[in-house]
Amino acid sequence: MRKIVMALAIAAVMSGSVATSQTAYAAQSSHDTNVYIQPAVPIGPKVQMLDCYGTTGSMGCGPGWVWRDGWRGWGCYPC
Amino acid sequence: MKARTMAGGFAAAAVMTVGVAVGGFGYAAAAPGDFSTLPVDPNLITDSLAYNAAPSVFNPNGRPGVETVYIHRDGSRQITSTILVLPDAQAASAALDGAKAELAGKVANSKTQPAAVGSGGTMLTGMSPDGSKSVTVLSFAEGNTATTLEFDGAAKDPAPSDLVLELGHKQDTAIRDWQAS
Repeated sequence: MRKIVMALAIAAVMSGSVATSQTAYAAQSSHDTNVYIQPAVPIGPKVQMLDCYGTTGSMGCGPGWVWRDGWRGWGCYPC
Repeated sequence: MKARTMAGGFAAAAVMTVGVAVGGFGYAAAAPGDFSTLPVDPNLITDSLAYNAAPSVFNPNGRPGVETVYIHRDGSRQITSTILVLPDAQAASAALDGAKAELAGKVANSKTQPAAVGSGGTMLTGMSPDGSKSVTVLSFAEGNTATTLEFDGAAKDPAPSDLVLELGHKQDTAIRDWQAS
């Protein structure tokens, strides 16, 4: 009797582990819980327009303008 | 004492009268034939120091009026203001037509476009005959006056049209103020 109980217990334990492993495999195969994150595209060097002298503009003229002594005297003029 | 005070008061009044007579009141004191206050200094629309004025020439080429040359401090630009004061508007219009015809022969590759300044305003742009300079001329009449503003600069640095028109408007206003005085 004791042997029968032991055999049944062992069988129950083995069948349970097999069933559990199948379930685990099934879960892994059909439900991928890993979230794929696309690697960030590296942002290239920012383009900053330069004025005629290759700077960002002196005297606050800004890109595309240059500080010079022109028809209106000293001021910002288009490049 | 009272007599001395009164004498002092008269003296002060006399000094003030002389001062006013000498100093004048701008346009209001402009005597007939006094064209000295007519030209508008281009420094009014620049950084205030860009141009140096040569002494004005009165009655240029025997014609009643005034001509003033303003030279940029770097020597690369020049503005010549010529204002002729004629007997009437018809004579002014005729003088303006003559000036335009004269300019057409002096400016190469010229383009003319109307300008909303005074009466019959036109703006002519082109190059000097040898191609070494840019030339822009604004001409207009106002009552009995005929005005030309000539802008000479480097070949690749023509006078901006907004500057030309701005100075033209100020010159036109000054002429009208002078006529009203």
